[in-house]
Amino acid sequence: MKISKRLYPYYMIWPAFLVYSVFFVVPAIIGLYYSFTDWRLDREVIRFIGWDNFRTIFTDETLILALKNTIIFAIVTVIGKNLLGIALAIGLNMKLKTRNLLRAVFYSPSILSILVISIVFTPMLRTEGMINRMLSAIGLDPLTQAWLTDPSIVIWTIAAVSIWQHVGFQMAIYLAGLQSISKDYYEAATIDGAGPWRSFINITLPLLLPAININLMLTLIGGLKVFSEVFVLTGGGPGNASQVVGTIILRAFGEGSWGLGTAINTLLFAGVTLISIPLLIFMRRREVTE
Amino acid sequence: MGFSRKLALRNYLVEGLLILASLIIIVPLLMMVFGSFMTSTEVLRFTLDLPDKWMFSNYVRVFEEGGLGRAFLNGLLITGVSSVLNIILSSSASFILVRRETKLTNMLYLYFFMGLIAPMSTITTIRVVQWMGFYGSITSVIFIYAALNTAFSVFLYSGFIKSIPKALDEVAFIEGASMFDVFFRIVTPLILPVNATVAIMVFMAVWNDITIPLYFLTDSSDWTMPLSVYNFYGKYSRDWNLIFANLVLTSLPVLILYIFAQKYIVSGLTAGAVKG
Repeated sequence: MKISKRLYPYYMIWPAFLVYSVFFVVPAIIGLYYSFTDWRLDREVIRFIGWDNFRTIFTDETLILALKNTIIFAIVTVIGKNLLGIALAIGLNMKLKTRNLLRAVFYSPSILSILVISIVFTPMLRTEGMINRMLSAIGLDPLTQAWLTDPSIVIWTIAAVSIWQHVGFQMAIYLAGLQSISKDYYEAATIDGAGPWRSFINITLPLLLPAININLMLTLIGGLKVFSEVFVLTGGGPGNASQVVGTIILRAFGEGSWGLGTAINTLLFAGVTLISIPLLIFMRRREVTE
Repeated sequence: MGFSRKLALRNYLVEGLLILASLIIIVPLLMMVFGSFMTSTEVLRFTLDLPDKWMFSNYVRVFEEGGLGRAFLNGLLITGVSSVLNIILSSSASFILVRRETKLTNMLYLYFFMGLIAPMSTITTIRVVQWMGFYGSITSVIFIYAALNTAFSVFLYSGFIKSIPKALDEVAFIEGASMFDVFFRIVTPLILPVNATVAIMVFMAVWNDITIPLYFLTDSSDWTMPLSVYNFYGKYSRDWNLIFANLVLTSLPVLILYIFAQKYIVSGLTAGAVKG
């Protein structure tokens, strides 16, 4: 005990602790206080105003819409990135000639900046853009949309762009998970007369659970924190149709409503934590060990 | 015979489908690359054609008019220093967190782990940086990135250091080595691949980010490439050839890094997938 005290001194932790606390934890904690104040750009004295900011959030139509959009975006991207990610991983885990090339192609957009992808997609998503032209060309006229200007679908479009960009990242994690499953299980199952579907349900899925868990967590947390895609593709528009929590905070910051902006951030913080931590605990329990 | 033939047929079918699907990924990216070499009228067709004449001069214009050289160096400085800072802080902290195994270190691990989940509180971070008197500076952004990536790095390092047997340290200690000897001469060489993984992951995240510069870099001469490109996009929204050239240039550093350091990225991903 005494030896380990001398050999592994705590002071090696403190630099990391200090930087992380000052620039990440302290702002979150003082954020709790500022959420209950009328902190504004043009005000000298900051007053405590109780729950007023939160009452504003839940009565303001735009803010409610932003919360709704954030949840839609998170759910759609979690489902899209994970289902397609697993499908691609299973396909690219088979013995295909072009396997390595295809893996690289599907992974490549996820290393680029969201800014780059969003700008590239902007002209493609216009009414007369490449996507609608292609749909018309193959006789799917009814599917053409005003992707970024129709308020009822714009958040879905942004979610689709996000899935397009990041599905390769999820695929890579699923591939790593699949490769860690021993072939013996499948051989044994085949001998026992199990078809591919039963093997998938009874072997692949349970043993892939660590990868599924980490991917669900990553996509869910990332989805709730969405900002850059919306900021570049629509800026929250048309009107306020695609506002999300991240863009609303920037707007509140720009307007000088810092107390309100911080309250929205606190709400996001509470939401992300309350959803993820029980999920994390639940998932840990269900994992099987080989 | 019949079975293996069916299997081969199935493989061809899957391969064909995947190649078709990969076109969905390739077409937009190629459109960007080809478009960056077109004239400003040709590019407005937004089709997947090779340029009539390859305009390499677009790239020269982008550097001259977009101030990209400056942004490139800013990005290199911010990304480089924050990755190195992050590596030094996180690896030394993780070493103790894993080896000490006390109540305090377990709590500290959870304290760091929370950072993987919780969203950052942007507006109050500005407040803290203002109190410290360096709001708007590149230094503040470096520290913020180092802090934001601490959770992920501690997570990665801890997982890896756990796999290095403690007996190695103990033998060295008996031979009279100090804690620094053990950390720098035994643990550090063994975690070199993790250092590479962390460096690359942090580099990519920081290089590509627009959120932090948007809030924290008030002076446009301090901007990194993505934010400069965003600004250029707003100003020159008619010159799509130049916009595309900008986007290609912003992507090149991460693309090069990806090509040369692929195996480190894969090992970073595996760490999460196999034991989360």
